[in-house]
Amino acid sequence: MLLLATAMAMPQMANAQIMKGGYFNVDWQFNAPIGNDYANRASGWGMNFEGGYYIIPNMSLGLYVSYHTNNKYIGEQVLHLSSTESLYTDQQHSIYQVPFGIATRWRFTTEDMFEPYIGVKLGTMYSRMESNTQVYTYYQDRWGFNVQPEIGLSFFPMPLNRVGIHMAVYYNYSTNKSKVLTYNIDGYSNIGFHLGISF
Amino acid sequence: MKKAIPILFLALAFIACQKNPDFNELSSDLIVYTNYDKSATFGEYQTYAIPDSILILDDKEKPSYYAADDPRTIAIVRAINSEMKTRGYIEVDNNADADIGIQVSYVKDTNTIISYASTNPYWWYGYDYYWPGSYWNPYWYGWGPSYAYPISYTYTIGSLIIEMIAIEDANPTTKKIPVIWTAYMAGILSSNQMNINRTVSGIYQAFEQSSYIRSGVE
Repeated sequence: MLLLATAMAMPQMANAQIMKGGYFNVDWQFNAPIGNDYANRASGWGMNFEGGYYIIPNMSLGLYVSYHTNNKYIGEQVLHLSSTESLYTDQQHSIYQVPFGIATRWRFTTEDMFEPYIGVKLGTMYSRMESNTQVYTYYQDRWGFNVQPEIGLSFFPMPLNRVGIHMAVYYNYSTNKSKVLTYNIDGYSNIGFHLGISF
Repeated sequence: MKKAIPILFLALAFIACQKNPDFNELSSDLIVYTNYDKSATFGEYQTYAIPDSILILDDKEKPSYYAADDPRTIAIVRAINSEMKTRGYIEVDNNADADIGIQVSYVKDTNTIISYASTNPYWWYGYDYYWPGSYWNPYWYGWGPSYAYPISYTYTIGSLIIEMIAIEDANPTTKKIPVIWTAYMAGILSSNQMNINRTVSGIYQAFEQSSYIRSGVE
């Protein structure tokens, strides 16, 4: 599906911006959850998509959506599910996060080869907290408020063609609260970076 | 409008974008669940009885068993006996004389027999037939088990259930026999057959995480 979507977008990328005064980013995402040890193994299993329109020369308003998965293996242990229940198992923990909403950014230059910017994204986030055992999968889906400040740079090697490289580092926080088995997550925090194309 | 189509496709693509963890990394080992009745006085019980056959839960109309001389039965009963004796209980031959009864069931090819909700008093319907009260005492015709705790698992094919019932505390008024401990283990199959070594490991693990099962301890 992603390949199909990218293929449909490519012809439009060949010329210039997807729309005049606007931008679109398609990024690979590397993400590391912080603040919880449930599935805090950093991974590159994610993508980021963002598009916006410059309402004034330096400031844009747009939309964003990204998704990411972080997994972590937990060896055999006894979990005390309640005062009388015990469960012995190993697990594959997984956190899946899909934040989306409104994105705004301030770029420090316009029409230059290098276009550094700062941005803030505000929206909502869907999360799935999951524990997989050999026999069962336990999971909880939750929604929360999402905020994501980031610092980035778009690089356009061909000044007449606004197809370039995009990179950014971000911090991402969501208010989602999840509980699976004996594990609790009260708010999701992440740091990571994007690397992709801008057009 | 045409430009929005790829973005729409991208949004739809997120539905299936979760990267599954490496399930091969999960051991082929056991999952063992135990639960018990908080009011049960394990320390006061002294004797127990265990059938010399393993009940098979399947889709057949009549219950079938792994017989006493079946290697699976021998290994399972031996492991349970070992744990019970280590914990100070004495085995007796006559079921009616025992304080505790231990019933062992193997879910062979059904996954529909156990689905419990505390609001449904008939959840164990059908299971009484397999472990009737009369099995433990010939005068207990029509008696059945009662549970102090909910079972929230749907038991899957190839799993073993061990239940400890308090024969001594059976209630003549309600005709109920309290189930005071449940152990459930899955992941005991290999090549679609019960793996005896893994099953025995599961039994030991079930007792290990149930330290309250000990005779003579108040």
